Amino acid sequence: MSTKQVLVFVEQADGCARPVAFELLGAGRILADKLGAELAAFVACAAAGDLSETLIAHGADRVYVAEHPELAAYRTLPYRRVLIDLIAAMETPPHIVLFGSTTTGRDLAPRIAAYFETGLTADCTELDIGPYEHTNSQDPSKVGLYPDCLYAIRPSFGESLKARILGPWKNPQMATVRPGVMVPLAPDAARTGTVHSVAVRLEETDLQLVVAETLRSMGEQVELQGAEVIVSGGYGLGNPEGFSLMYQLAACFENSAVGSSRKAVDAGWIAHAHQVGQTGKTVRPKLYIACGISGAIQHRVGMDKSATIVAINKDLNAPIFKFAHHGIVGDLYQVIPELIRQLKLQKTPTPDTSNVATHSL
Amino acid sequence: MNIFVLIKQVPDQGAKAGINPDGTIDRAKAKRMLNPFDRYALEAALHARRLYGGTVTAISMGPPPAIEILYEAIAHGVDQAILLSDRRLAASDTLATAYALYCTVRYAGAFDLVFCGLQTTDGDTAQVGPQLAERLQVPQITYCEKFEIDHNEIVARRVIEGGAQTVRCPLPAVVTVANSAPRLAYKTLRGARRVQQLQRDEAERSRVIRTVNLDDIGADPLRCGLKGSPTIVAATEKVGEIGGNCTLYQGKPLQQLVDDVLAAQVIAPELVKR
Ligand SMILES: Cc1cc2nc3c(=O)[nH]c(=O)nc-3n(C[C@H](O)[C@H](O)[C@H](O)COP(=O)(O)OP(=O)(O)OC[C@H]3O[C@@H](n4cnc5c(N)ncnc54)[C@H](O)[C@@H]3O)c2cc1C
Repeated sequence: MSTKQVLVFVEQADGCARPVAFELLGAGRILADKLGAELAAFVACAAAGDLSETLIAHGADRVYVAEHPELAAYRTLPYRRVLIDLIAAMETPPHIVLFGSTTTGRDLAPRIAAYFETGLTADCTELDIGPYEHTNSQDPSKVGLYPDCLYAIRPSFGESLKARILGPWKNPQMATVRPGVMVPLAPDAARTGTVHSVAVRLEETDLQLVVAETLRSMGEQVELQGAEVIVSGGYGLGNPEGFSLMYQLAACFENSAVGSSRKAVDAGWIAHAHQVGQTGKTVRPKLYIACGISGAIQHRVGMDKSATIVAINKDLNAPIFKFAHHGIVGDLYQVIPELIRQLKLQKTPTPDTSNVATHSL
Repeated sequence: MNIFVLIKQVPDQGAKAGINPDGTIDRAKAKRMLNPFDRYALEAALHARRLYGGTVTAISMGPPPAIEILYEAIAHGVDQAILLSDRRLAASDTLATAYALYCTVRYAGAFDLVFCGLQTTDGDTAQVGPQLAERLQVPQITYCEKFEIDHNEIVARRVIEGGAQTVRCPLPAVVTVANSAPRLAYKTLRGARRVQQLQRDEAERSRVIRTVNLDDIGADPLRCGLKGSPTIVAATEKVGEIGGNCTLYQGKPLQQLVDDVLAAQVIAPELVKR
């Protein structure tokens, strides 16, 4: 089998794929179509059930399934073994392999890349296919024109830049992709694909590490990723009480949530679960209202895919006005109470403004 | 116990000096510091020695000024250090870096634990730890925030999405330390004195802080630096230049301003709670 392939690592728990798997399939589908390649999904688990059909409905042409009781929960070494065996057994290695930038993807992908001595770009926010001509090299063997490179694009930190990282010299070209960034395809039960079972050959050393206990969903759950409207507060709020104004504005919308910048989290004004950005969550709501947020690159990469971005900032030169769709230049403590008042007016003919006055000047 | 800890010197992004007007880093002028994530790894290494005995060796790769962070590590109580410094390492990506560090670890000898910071603030990939573990052919525990050692086995709690996991595995192992782990304690008086002594006494310094190059550690130069890196940064794009067609609302009385915003349907009416 020498068809060109884009391979996606599917993260799953108890036979259910995690959202990032569908996002990767969405991104992988676009890449595969541009390459004229097949989109393949790799899943390791105890029992796949009807997971393969779900993955095909979400865009996979081919699903590789490795089933074994020792693969029930993610562990580096057994997962590493089956994925390496799968790739090594292929006549030609996959053109591209994608993982989520989750604690699992970031644990596994580097080991696979090191094994195959191939490039791995971390935490990408955009992917594309394109040509690349390498001219200037200390290594003449690398010079040449490469038509089908993976363009792995990621923010370059501390510098307001996006870097395009390429590794066209060797396949697979690999990347980890931020959860929440790529768009999954709408599932389509009419899509067809093939399912291939992968031989599982584990060695004793692969089983050295034992998972004694897994605890999920401790603490606060913040439904940032499902919200249609996100009202986000930054360091410009000036104090933790400012977030009550954020909640009041959010309450004007259906299906809304409160987000924040890292500086507000670091100041201890709100829990990390609310943080949007590079080291927080990536969101793409219909409406993102950024209040007192300057728009640093690390914040921006978490929210710039929002359909509409409204920024409220008193500094006309704040970087956020360079990429927001609408910018209200003014003091948030004046603008937001007025905004709340008028939004409430819109909904009720007889307005009650008594509960919105807490934060006006 | 033979404990290694890998640390890196990074540009200090908080310091304004060294930031070009276009927002890029002027690496020659930038102030440098110990990678903040490595402080947790250093604390983990010192903690392991406090509880289980042995020695802690700090290992770094970088240009000669990186010796500053090795002094810093010694001030915190590290026993000895190795600095891998070689021009042929320039432009190493994570794979080439992990290879060079693997050769350094091999040169440094047998180990029970290698601690790494979760990631660096300049590269931000979190890849070097696992890639090192792959080359060393040992298990890894990433995102570790707590651990103990019992009968040559490490029992660790690692952070996962929305929770935590407890794992156990035999030594030797590579551990990357999360920033929810215990913070690095203050420098010790003894450590500070030791640094002063090393700065005065060259013979003692070169005994305690070994500076090595690729030949010393038996690394293949073709697998290092630009040559050994399968990836390159092919293009950068200034982020501030994208978009830039923001509609601004300003310079009007507040009520009218907000009127304008709502009249323009900036906020889609169907999103508003009825
Ligand atoms: C490795 C790394 C990872 C990071 N990850 C993230 C991340 O995930 N998410 C994130 O957000 N950041 C992240 N950061 C931090 C980021 O670089 C910025 O420091 C941060 O986003 C700034 O937060 P801010 O905009 O709230 O604060 P500031 O930059 O201080 O901006 C405050 C803004 O509020 C405005 N303002 C002040 N008062 C008012 C008022 N009364 N009314 C209206 N406007 C007002 C000011 O004009 C200013 O523009 C990261 C940094 C690093 C180095």
